[in-house]
Amino acid sequence: MSALQVQAGELLASGKAEVVIGYGEGTRGRVRPVFVRTRADVSLLVFDGRCTANLTVYLAKPEVGRMGKAAIVATPGAVRSLIQLIAEHQVDPGEVVVLAADDDAVTLLTDPAALEAYAAAHPVTIPPEAKAVTESLARMSAQERRAFWDAELSRCFKCYACRSACALCYCTRCITDMNQPQWVCVAPHALGVMEWHLNRAMHMAGRCVQCGSCTSACPAGIPIGLLAMEASRSVEKEFGAQAGLRCDAPPALSSFAADDRESFIL
Amino acid sequence: MTTELTFEPKIVAFVCNWCTYAGADLTGTSRIAYASNVRIMRFPCTGRIDYNLVLKALEQGADGILISGCHPNDCHYSTGNFHARRRWVVFRHMMEYMGFDLRRVKFAWVSAAEGAKWAEVVNTTVREIRELGPATEYTELHRKGVA
Amino acid sequence: MCSDPGQNMIKSAIKEKNLTGVVVAACSPRMHEPTFRRACAEAGLNPFLCEMANLREQCSWVHPRTDATTEKAIDIVSMLVAKVKRNAPLFPIKVPVTRTALVIGGGIAGIQSALDIANAGRQVVLVEREPSIGGHMSQLSETFPTLDCSQCILTPRMVEVAQHPNITLHTYAEVESLSGFIGNFTARIRKKARSIDERSCTGCGECVTACPIKKIPSEFNAGLGLRSAIYVPFPQAVPNKPVIDRGRCTYFQKGKCRFCETKCPAKAIRFDQQDEILDIAVGAVVVSTGFTVVETSFFPEYGYGLYKDVITGLQFERLLSASGPTLGEVRRPSDGKTPKNVVFLACAGSRDPAKGIEYCSKICCMYTAKHAMLYRHKVPDGDATVFYMDIRAAGKGYDEFVRRAIEDDEVRYIRGRVSRVFERQGKLVVKGADTLLGGQQVEIEADLVVLASAAVANPGAEELAQRLHVSYDGHSFFSEAHPKLRPVETNSAGIFLAGACQAPKDIPESVGQASAAASKVVGLFSCEELTREPVIAVVNRTAPPAYSTCAGCFMCRSACPFNAIESEEIKGRDGQILKTLARVNPGLCQGCGTCVAFCRSKAIDLQGFTHEQMYAQVMDLFA
Ligand SMILES: Cc1cc2nc3c(=O)[nH]c(=O)nc-3n(C[C@H](O)[C@H](O)[C@H](O)COP(=O)(O)OP(=O)(O)OC[C@H]3O[C@@H](n4cnc5c(N)ncnc54)[C@H](O)[C@@H]3O)c2cc1C
Ligand code: SF4
Ligand code: SF4
Ligand code: SF4
Ligand code: SF4
Repeated sequence: MSALQVQAGELLASGKAEVVIGYGEGTRGRVRPVFVRTRADVSLLVFDGRCTANLTVYLAKPEVGRMGKAAIVATPGAVRSLIQLIAEHQVDPGEVVVLAADDDAVTLLTDPAALEAYAAAHPVTIPPEAKAVTESLARMSAQERRAFWDAELSRCFKCYACRSACALCYCTRCITDMNQPQWVCVAPHALGVMEWHLNRAMHMAGRCVQCGSCTSACPAGIPIGLLAMEASRSVEKEFGAQAGLRCDAPPALSSFAADDRESFIL
Repeated sequence: MTTELTFEPKIVAFVCNWCTYAGADLTGTSRIAYASNVRIMRFPCTGRIDYNLVLKALEQGADGILISGCHPNDCHYSTGNFHARRRWVVFRHMMEYMGFDLRRVKFAWVSAAEGAKWAEVVNTTVREIRELGPATEYTELHRKGVA
Repeated sequence: MCSDPGQNMIKSAIKEKNLTGVVVAACSPRMHEPTFRRACAEAGLNPFLCEMANLREQCSWVHPRTDATTEKAIDIVSMLVAKVKRNAPLFPIKVPVTRTALVIGGGIAGIQSALDIANAGRQVVLVEREPSIGGHMSQLSETFPTLDCSQCILTPRMVEVAQHPNITLHTYAEVESLSGFIGNFTARIRKKARSIDERSCTGCGECVTACPIKKIPSEFNAGLGLRSAIYVPFPQAVPNKPVIDRGRCTYFQKGKCRFCETKCPAKAIRFDQQDEILDIAVGAVVVSTGFTVVETSFFPEYGYGLYKDVITGLQFERLLSASGPTLGEVRRPSDGKTPKNVVFLACAGSRDPAKGIEYCSKICCMYTAKHAMLYRHKVPDGDATVFYMDIRAAGKGYDEFVRRAIEDDEVRYIRGRVSRVFERQGKLVVKGADTLLGGQQVEIEADLVVLASAAVANPGAEELAQRLHVSYDGHSFFSEAHPKLRPVETNSAGIFLAGACQAPKDIPESVGQASAAASKVVGLFSCEELTREPVIAVVNRTAPPAYSTCAGCFMCRSACPFNAIESEEIKGRDGQILKTLARVNPGLCQGCGTCVAFCRSKAIDLQGFTHEQMYAQVMDLFA
């Protein structure tokens, strides 16, 4: 039995958790989420390089809530998103324990302080492909960037996999689903897609924890996470607030400092 | 060349009720003439101005946008403009990151006493947008969309 | 249009054509929106179904008579027509009012507010942190510009407070929290244990005489006199009941003593008394917690507080006061000798960006003139010198007062800042520049140096402001809602300011503001219900299981300048919490709409400026 399976078994046996949300073997060599509720089933749990999806998305689901107190297998990115969810009052820290998994080590985190310490010790990692795109974008002119995003976004067919994969896209009603008024054109055409992604980026400003799940989820292979990450990084750079590090952090975008810098207002 | 000279940009101004709107009223009572290209939308506070409305205006065919409210520390509601400022910093950054031309979205603090400044801000905006020519980025997207 | 015939035209059109919305294309809504809305209401149309298109100030007055201008006018009207189609009837919000006022701080400002409100027939709860009310004014000797004795004019007011049937006084007490909103606050008050049963105590003072611990620096005498561990801060204290300073009392520190208890004829000493917590309902709050002055230790250049004969103006007040440690004789702290050379330094700390106090403390010019004058009266053969930057004596009889000091009492005024005060062969030397003599250096030997030290906010002022949800400026003075037009209101509706907690002030100004605040409170209390504009934010409600599209993220809460956003729990039949939502408190919301633009799921909207209304205007413009 792996260390993860042992720890999960102990949590279930002691009643510290009634369900363990983790990764299990799926079809065609892929992993899928599993919800382990008995000790006998802990053997289903796996953790390896394939396990990148952010499982904290399940925490807000009522079906999962009904299973009782949860333990969740979390990558460092997922730990950050859990912290952010706590800061945004979406998860009660008393209702969840975390099996933080990183390579081979499994750490049990049971309170906000432990989560924060773990997040601090595991800084954001940007995959090399994303870094390469970011760097080339930085070198582009505005027109080239426009063309880049036009081309990338032209492949988006609004399946909303990015939204479903993101733990922080938990709105009861997403702005894309509103029709009175119709803020975002429904059709997956150039305009509708731009509106959708600009809105998602703005909504993620100061909140995106750079877990990369949205990019991994996109069936069209669009590096869509770059937009949200850029919005969050801009908040970090301008206002010094980084998402996913403190369970009691105030909302970064809806707060202000009287001396916030700005040079564009006449 | 002639088309450029006759191009009259359509500008939408999103302004707060207490400072800029009052300032623009003062421009009127002081009879300071300025370009008629601007359409003013009144909001209670700059804090109320939604970037989606700005986006909609651009998509619908606005050539330029002017967003204006009370100077820092002058907000009628004390901090609405500070909140707005933070939001606009991020919004501009994202527009830029997606390659949109930031020169079409202008910001100014105009107090209720700055009637002359309002006229000047509008005139400058109109002049600059006229030089940029008609906005196409968004209408292009729109066209692609409907096609 | 705004004339009677114009209004009548609108009224009859509403009636004849059964109009469901009106756009008046005329002048600025900032000018006549109320006029036309009233006209609509008179014709039976909800006033919020009327909008104004500003064709005058923002069109015809600023553009020439051209086609482009006409086009603009058409656009303006058309946008508002698009808006008005989506307007909903709105109704003024009624909020019940608890007609009791809370006054925090019993200095002269708090006393005045409390008396004014009480005399208007309303209940007042006055909370004072110290064992007695009176504030700084009780420490003053005589007051400018009339030189009447401070205690003599203050004491009757203090007694009136204590005896007023409409005033409940809690001294040695603090406000721990304030919740609710205008008309409906709940204040939690902690009455610190006085260790005395106030009802039995007769104020005879036997306990004070009995107390063996007598060498505690007296706060009232600004450290220049001594008091015992059980003490009454000053003879005219209200209430005139002692309090045990538990940090200094031998019994509380070492478990032995209780001498006071044995001497008390009324058996009023209560060593086991506990702090008392009171929750009281109030409808309005006046904050009048005053100010403080910086101590001599604040000034490295004047000896860091090490020289005994460098004192603050407040300490000098105590030396001048007949009830002070020297019984009103000017004798210096180091050796009790009468100083023959007194140097007064105005602007000590004030107007000095390097010290972090850029502002003018406002009262110092006047009290320095008063000090020099009173000193000259008491020590006719003594020399008084004042170092000043400017003399700011704007006020009725103020400049005349300063003139009198200079001309009649021969006080020497030297314009210049003092760079150092130091000791040379046992004598204090004041070194400065005389800027009127081209910056010539001057050195003056002094027996006593009095610093007109800067008036600053009370320590802990920010914390109190946060507890009360009022804002404060960069110097921790509480902020008024508008520097000119709403000088006694705060940004939190129902909370008012009086006195030096808002900025340094002298007594007449403090009293004036206190009466103004009181009249605001009395005005608020004049009706059982208060009516508020319905232009406020609301969080939507939908059918279960969502209950609202609000996700309870509370991003909106930190956006609201007025703390109007609360949380609401949706509970199931068995009491379990199904969802936590944001809720706007209609008593607090001022309708700025900042929250609205932050809500990702647009679950919160602003009545009168809704998403639909604003969206329709933009779309109409390009239709
Ligand atoms: C040296 C000196 C000389 C002066 N001479 C004159 C003069 O001659 N003429 C003149 O017009 N003015 C004079 N002044 C100014 C005068 O003292 C002030 O104008 C006046 O005291 C202001 O009154 P106030 O009630 O606002 O504040 P304060 O007098 O400071 O009273 C505030 C009260 O609130 C209480 N308090 C504070 N915090 C709390 C809390 N958290 N909870 C409950 N209670 C609290 C305090 O204990 C105090 O009782 C002088 C000032 C100084 C420093
Ligand atoms: S996952 Fe990809 S294709 Fe689907 S909506 Fe998001 S960006 Fe578009
Ligand atoms: S936007 Fe993408 S990268 Fe950011 S938190 Fe959501 S899923 Fe992770
Ligand atoms: S109203 Fe909007 S911003 Fe406020 S808590 Fe609800 S979802 Fe969040
Ligand atoms: S409209 Fe303004 S005052 Fe009202 S709840 Fe929203 S942010 Fe607060």
